Amino acid sequence: MIPDAEKLFSASTEWKSIRVNTLKIGRDELLERLSEKFEVREMPWYENGFFIKGDITKSLEYYLGYYHVQEAGSMLPPLVMLPDKNDCIIDICAAPGSKTTQMAMMMENEGIIFANDVNSKRLRALAHNIQKCGVVNCIILNHDGRFLWKKGIRGDKILLDAPCTASGKIIKNKNMTWSYGRVIRMSKLQKRLIESASKCLIDGGTLVYSTCSLEPEENEEVIDYAIKNLNMEAEKIELVGIKTRRGIKRWGDKEYEGAEKAIRIWPQDNLTEGFFICKLRKY
Amino acid sequence: MQIKKILNEKEIRDIEKLIEKNYGCKINLGKYKVFKTGEEKIWIVEKGVDMELCKKLRCYAMGMYFGKLKRNNKIKLSMEGAMMIGKIAKKNVAVIDEGEGMKFIEGENVIASKLIGCEQNNFVIIKMNEDILGVGILRENFIENLVPKARRINF
Repeated sequence: MIPDAEKLFSASTEWKSIRVNTLKIGRDELLERLSEKFEVREMPWYENGFFIKGDITKSLEYYLGYYHVQEAGSMLPPLVMLPDKNDCIIDICAAPGSKTTQMAMMMENEGIIFANDVNSKRLRALAHNIQKCGVVNCIILNHDGRFLWKKGIRGDKILLDAPCTASGKIIKNKNMTWSYGRVIRMSKLQKRLIESASKCLIDGGTLVYSTCSLEPEENEEVIDYAIKNLNMEAEKIELVGIKTRRGIKRWGDKEYEGAEKAIRIWPQDNLTEGFFICKLRKY
Repeated sequence: MQIKKILNEKEIRDIEKLIEKNYGCKINLGKYKVFKTGEEKIWIVEKGVDMELCKKLRCYAMGMYFGKLKRNNKIKLSMEGAMMIGKIAKKNVAVIDEGEGMKFIEGENVIASKLIGCEQNNFVIIKMNEDILGVGILRENFIENLVPKARRINF
């Protein structure tokens, strides 16, 4: 299933990725400051992303919240969503808040983000990151995402970065354990979450679904479910500077709708974590 | 999060005046919704937020923690609150050098190289070059560190 797998297992992980927090500092100013202390490479697919070699959590700039340590692949779902200053966005599984703070930054601290997470322990990290990034347009909620639609909030755009088996993190953790039973359990949960997300979304609104998992059951199968049952259609995604591959159309005896418009980021292609992203519109 | 009070225009202006009195600068908090939680903590949130809807939700936090009102018309700013004000503050600013700055980040008390309009035993904004590192309390011979433990870094 994994193309060019040998590259994956020999990949170096000494480069860490960060995102500039433009709510606190300009991109060029931070680049200049970091270049004096670290080896820095610009990220080809995102002007506010950098790869850095060194201990990135021990610098003055980190302390000040001038940048946020964020996996390079995880910067992509907000780039697919393109949040706007006037949007009301719901981030259904928001903790620890990397994508939430990125969206707040892209919205220049205007509009509204409902950042929800069911796990009350993870909310502390979410709140910490939101505060540290200087975000003022976020409301942190603690609801079960499966029932969020019952609470009466509606969004123009929704990010569902669903809980997953995280097999795309294999580039960082080559000793991870895997079970098919867990994949199936996750797939069921993801379908419940996308159903709730679709009910929270206004007609014509955009839903970005993502996971850091490589399994079709957690990705294309969930999109297929949304298209067939939830009045949603997949939209083409355009990202520049990163190698992406199309979703998997056939898996075993199953054929998935919408897969051709979804994208897969394979870890070995860009030396990021693996990611699956699909953009859906409700009609 | 238990919201104690959503501040009206006059109450917001009172906080702006408090900041002007303590830090010698004018800021516009009127562009946010401002509210209080327990222990006189002040938070700011985007103006478009529907507070009534939020009351019906299980809300863990909202917006950004700006600071805490203290006795004798003083305000203990959060790090982000200090960053909002620090660049324009004209009073109660303690300038420290880089060596002391690193100690401050680690959570240690420090000695200022320059004090700008500082009052003894008041909260002071800590500035190093052009960066605002947070707040402390000016004591007789040193600045007491108020960096929250979760934000400190050990180099």
